[in-house]
Amino acid sequence: MANPFSRVGEVFGRVPRWVYVAAALVFAIVFPMLESYGLMQTLWLRLGTRTLVYVLLAVGLNLVLGETGLLHLGYVAFFAVGAYSTAILSSPRFDLQWNFWLIMVIAMLLAMLFGFIVGIPSLRLRGDYLAIVTLAFGEIVRMTLNNWEWLTNGPGGIPGIYPPVIFGWVVDQPAEFFYLLLVVVVIVVALVSNIKNSRIGRAWNALREDEIASHHSGVRPTQAKMLAVVMSSGIAGLAGAIFAYYQQFINPTYFLFMQSVIVVCMVVLGGMGSIPGAVLGAVALDATPEIIRQTFTTWLPRAVGSDFLPAVQAALQTDFDRYRMLIFGLVIVLMVIFRPEGLLPNQLWRREVHEEDPREIEHTRQHLFDFEEGRQDLEV
Amino acid sequence: MSEPILDVRATTKSFGGLKAVNNLSFEVYEGEIVSLIGPNGSGKTTTFNVITGLYEPDSGDILFKGESIAGLSPAKVYERGVARTFQMLRLFAAMSVLENVLVGMHGRTRANVLDCMLRTPRMRREEDASIVRAREILEYFPGRFPEVRHAQPASSLSYANRRRLELARALAGEPSLLLLDEPVAGMNPAESLEVMRQIRDLRDRGYTILMIEHDMKVIMGASDRVIAMDHGIKIAEGAPTDVANDPAVVEAYLGRRGADTAS
Repeated sequence: MANPFSRVGEVFGRVPRWVYVAAALVFAIVFPMLESYGLMQTLWLRLGTRTLVYVLLAVGLNLVLGETGLLHLGYVAFFAVGAYSTAILSSPRFDLQWNFWLIMVIAMLLAMLFGFIVGIPSLRLRGDYLAIVTLAFGEIVRMTLNNWEWLTNGPGGIPGIYPPVIFGWVVDQPAEFFYLLLVVVVIVVALVSNIKNSRIGRAWNALREDEIASHHSGVRPTQAKMLAVVMSSGIAGLAGAIFAYYQQFINPTYFLFMQSVIVVCMVVLGGMGSIPGAVLGAVALDATPEIIRQTFTTWLPRAVGSDFLPAVQAALQTDFDRYRMLIFGLVIVLMVIFRPEGLLPNQLWRREVHEEDPREIEHTRQHLFDFEEGRQDLEV
Repeated sequence: MSEPILDVRATTKSFGGLKAVNNLSFEVYEGEIVSLIGPNGSGKTTTFNVITGLYEPDSGDILFKGESIAGLSPAKVYERGVARTFQMLRLFAAMSVLENVLVGMHGRTRANVLDCMLRTPRMRREEDASIVRAREILEYFPGRFPEVRHAQPASSLSYANRRRLELARALAGEPSLLLLDEPVAGMNPAESLEVMRQIRDLRDRGYTILMIEHDMKVIMGASDRVIAMDHGIKIAEGAPTDVANDPAVVEAYLGRRGADTAS
């Protein structure tokens, strides 16, 4: 109870949930406009677009990692499958320019098929073994992309991906991509949160909590896990397909193992099994390094004087990618120490139903009550 | 006599060289309360695990309502109408009280992935009905699960209430046979008494009960028939008092010298 967060949490917990969702949506809708009115550098819009891709990935992986409790370390493979579907079917490589919708469907189905194939052997495994198998699978996909030159052009990647055309609307501006992704994110989040609050979501949670007990309560573990893996693979495929359109060029280095780890971090950081958590985790982890870079290279020098920590400035300007991982690590270490349950854990998010959290008091009261009642029964 | 609801026939289950359940046969008839007793390690819980499908028997057969359930997965056995509780509580700790009961209904609800994603009217109707039924089941424990507690995580409950919740989850599958693994373990005398009454009440409501128990008061007070096991073998069967006085049973618990002293 001495936790200083609890009072803050109580205040925030009283605001109804839809207010947060609405605020986030309004912010997301206004965000690209800031750029078009010149109030914000394009850099930030690009960051925002990339963040939305990560949001999709985090929400997708949360199904497996957060809801079902399976440590999946090869998630980026399905993202790659989606991205390469777009790159092959809509670029000069094979001189194809297939319809946007068709490619979305193909990317999703293909990623789901891959998820299914990986699932067959690996879902019988538990814990560490599943992690190892999925990790290996991620690497197999990346190496295949690297070496199957006929199809993927190997390390050279596939350039010149045509922009998507949606009902005659050519999507080629950063702001347009942002909105396209936003629509996809909203749809995916809506569908995923519906399924989370259904018998299927409960079955996933039950599996995470206790596989044996859930099996004895009528949940078929392999089937339920497979569903989670296949669905999350589909979401990754979708994210990858749009990512390739947006990036216009992809090669295997976009799909390194590190990407899988980053998405895992986003889910854990946000709070396992919580959709708002996954969204916030993605935003926080993707935006924080950039904010820190801007702070040290632009904002602070501007405020304090351009000679502010020149070494840090130079390092962040030239070698940012290396320092990005350092900052990631730092954020995660801090999280693990100060808020191990994640930014928006499921329980906290659920609390908004109640005026205040009565659990602690109720818990103690009940123990006393049971005790009293037991004594009365004995006396009779 | 009518056909037994559960018929365990010459079932054997071994782990390596150890025959945890050795050529075990017994029947349970509809509307009975049967207790399975025996010293620790005598194969009672393994018997439960074989019946509910956690283990496949090495040989023998298990019939439930006349059909073989040996080797079926736990989920399938559960759907046929056999529900169980565990010796060491196995609740879904982070899920709410109501959700725990709702999971018990999983096998009986039918909404598919699309229904759930789109929240179709069909899915909503089913969900509403499930929630109504789950509340009804929780009502079976008067005063233990008031409305305010439904949304709380199962881990916030007292020990006795967690045991009750586990029973509620088992009831949610609308089983006809309940397997209770030490239902009063860790409970105080008053709570044990309550559980005993409840077990009898459940029987009166049409459930058949097979339970593993150590508490002699509960065994004597509740069961119609007792089956005693030792080293995976059935050593005695019959009315509670007969089994309790059976020399083989006394020996199993107290050893040969103990048995001599007792007689």
